[in-house]
Amino acid sequence: MKKLINIILAGVAIMAISACTKIDNYDGPNASFQGNIISSEGGNLLTSGGSVTIKLQQIGWTTPQTIPSKFDGTFEDSKLFQSNYKVIPTGGAFWPIYDTVVVKIGKDTRHDFTVTPYIVIKNFKTALNGTTLTLTFNIVAPIAAGLPTIKDIQPYVNTTKLVGAGASIRDFSDVNAITINKEYTDMSDADKAITLTIPNLIKGRTFFVRAGVRLSDSYNSSNFSEIIQVDVPK
Amino acid sequence: MKIINKLVIAIAVTVGVSVTSCQRLDIPPTNIVTPDIIYSSEAGVKSFLATIYQNLPIEDFKFRPDAGGGIRTGSNDWENFYNEASCIGEEVGPFGGMDIAGGFGYWPYGDIRNVNTLIAELPKHVSTLSQPTVDALLGEAHFLRAYYYFAMAKRYGGIPIITTPQDPAAPLSQLQVHRDKEQATWDFIATELDLGYKMMPETSDAGRANKYVAAALKSRAMLYAACVAKYGSVNFVDGQARSLGLVGIPADQASKYFQAAYDAAKLLDGKYSLYNANSDKVQNYVDLFLKSGSPENIFIKQYSIANHTAHSWDATMSPRYFTANALSRSYPTYDFVSLWGDLQVTNADGTPKRFDNRAQLQQGLEPRLLATVYFPGATLRGLTFDMQRGIYPSFSGTAAAEVAKQPNSRSYILAGDTKTLYNGKQVIGFTGPWTGGDELTRTGFYVRKYVDYNKPQAAVDLNRSEQPWIDLRYGEILLNRAEAAMELGNTGDALTSVNLIRTRAGATPYASIDLDKVRKERRMELAFENQYYWDLKRWRTADVVLDRAHFKGLMPYYVFNENKYIFMVEPELFNREYTFQKQFYYEGIPGDQIGKNPNLLPNNPNY
Repeated sequence: MKKLINIILAGVAIMAISACTKIDNYDGPNASFQGNIISSEGGNLLTSGGSVTIKLQQIGWTTPQTIPSKFDGTFEDSKLFQSNYKVIPTGGAFWPIYDTVVVKIGKDTRHDFTVTPYIVIKNFKTALNGTTLTLTFNIVAPIAAGLPTIKDIQPYVNTTKLVGAGASIRDFSDVNAITINKEYTDMSDADKAITLTIPNLIKGRTFFVRAGVRLSDSYNSSNFSEIIQVDVPK
Repeated sequence: MKIINKLVIAIAVTVGVSVTSCQRLDIPPTNIVTPDIIYSSEAGVKSFLATIYQNLPIEDFKFRPDAGGGIRTGSNDWENFYNEASCIGEEVGPFGGMDIAGGFGYWPYGDIRNVNTLIAELPKHVSTLSQPTVDALLGEAHFLRAYYYFAMAKRYGGIPIITTPQDPAAPLSQLQVHRDKEQATWDFIATELDLGYKMMPETSDAGRANKYVAAALKSRAMLYAACVAKYGSVNFVDGQARSLGLVGIPADQASKYFQAAYDAAKLLDGKYSLYNANSDKVQNYVDLFLKSGSPENIFIKQYSIANHTAHSWDATMSPRYFTANALSRSYPTYDFVSLWGDLQVTNADGTPKRFDNRAQLQQGLEPRLLATVYFPGATLRGLTFDMQRGIYPSFSGTAAAEVAKQPNSRSYILAGDTKTLYNGKQVIGFTGPWTGGDELTRTGFYVRKYVDYNKPQAAVDLNRSEQPWIDLRYGEILLNRAEAAMELGNTGDALTSVNLIRTRAGATPYASIDLDKVRKERRMELAFENQYYWDLKRWRTADVVLDRAHFKGLMPYYVFNENKYIFMVEPELFNREYTFQKQFYYEGIPGDQIGKNPNLLPNNPNY
């Protein structure tokens, strides 16, 4: 009886071992894709959390994947499968692009996208008076006709360099928004010169500040200014 | 030697048994019910229908709208506070934001196949079932099929319309069907409900459909389609699915659907009426949701402890103070309560009004509001809702100035539990509000609608509530009719319908009407009934109403040196933010389904 059990055990062991001899013949996700989202008005398109994403559709596969952009308008994903992908930037405050580009993504593939922003924030200046911070700037639309309605304009204040939509202190940021709800073409030059005021900042603290203009496009997306560091004296 | 003998015997027996058994394998399976059993009697068909009804996507007490839930049919689905109301500002609760907008991947083609089988089989059994029975059952089947398709159309827009049971052996190219256009989907639903209306009898057992149930559902569905056409053609997200008509309906089709909604609602004229059995308007409105045999009930879903289908509304809408077990977790907002107008809690000079007791707050409020929400000072099962956020040793100044202060510079005394006393006085109420856990109110209110006040406290436990869910009631039909009439420019009819609702509610009837008033009446009348989420979606106003939205509560405080109560409107204590993205007007086609059938692409815009 014991012998029989031994034989069976040996048989099971041989089968178990031989079952594992074939290894996965697919490469792991060792391709990478990176690049810039360039603004047609110069420099990278400044973004924020939950803003621009690069949408990739692997050809021969149904479910798309996305790469979120970084705040400086760059993007990178280093864990992709080598393949041909249809790619398109989406979700940000720029004139929509409908034509996808086919990119063969392999090791260290680079690709830059150029987009036309809805709004560019120009002459961005900050002035600190005691604990009250004032932001002044002008908004300019590269293409005015057909621009989505401008919903509101607001400051974003945070204690880290990651500052923008979804990464800001509400009492300094959303609360100080100004409502516009106007078409760009109906705004006078004075309307386009914006002043935002952030009162009651905390003494002795460092803040990172930027401004955003929100439009009522499909994403309710925002165009952002650069990020400025503000040190409030004690 | 012994071993070999045993082996020989074992092999001989195995071979012997397996050889002889093969001769008798070709018998009908005994463990599944075959068509001839089901269709040999009406009772057989009924048992098949029961499954279809059970899985019907009724958004009831148990319905959980996010990815963690869906249509819940069995027992132990007790988290009744995970409801649509707590994502859209009627209540606030367990969801962290718009967690429900992606849906739960609803794709009920298995259930639709059951209905399709029924529709294909029934005509073959006229001899055993009789023609009138077959017709009535077919009408019911068409209604049920429409119900399933409606639940998908409002989520995805256009979907594949499948009307016959697919043959699993058919080639893949036939099984991988394409999506139909959104308009075709709604037209299909309308046709199915017309068949239901034509073929079903006038009355039915509770929980089953009759011809008026089909008409009532049609008024709801056509109103949705009409709004997709009218408002969806103004506020939309562009994409391939839209340009192909898979989502969206041309704007010029809107009035056709509004007319269909109006006509369907009108069919119920004189067949049902508003519940008005009690002259006490508050009690009457409470009982409307609890009394059986109400002339307002059109289509209900029933529950049973014995069959393990009971729900947990009573145990999860009130705090533990009033129940034998379980916790509450979603609470009506001040924003909702103030639909009836701001509560009079502040004097003209901005200082908080002083109240001798909490119950005074309820004086002069509309009976329907008091029957929908438990206010501070209300009673249930012999106990009082003693909401109290904290104690002010003394209070001076205006409410606005006090609420604007940072929490650490406010002079109130709060407590981490109900046992803490301040000079012998309990600091927070047994019913909250507090922030130590989710189980006491964070807004100062509790849900009253559907709560069974007659149930003794010891019996209020999980999966122990049996009051039926009223899926379609005449109140909604009047509001469907009013809205459709308003959109068609028939203000007289809209005013009449809304005033019927208002009179029953104990509100002052309107002298004139507009669309905003109709919509507001709908919000007030159908609160917590899983309607407003879909209303926001079809009106295409969700992205405006829920744009980084924060909601408010009403915080009661005791002022110690005055021996008075004050109430202040403050941010609700979860302090949640809700943002509805425009793409959420449609859910994305579930990814696992696209994996099985790439012909479902293109997916809805932005998915």
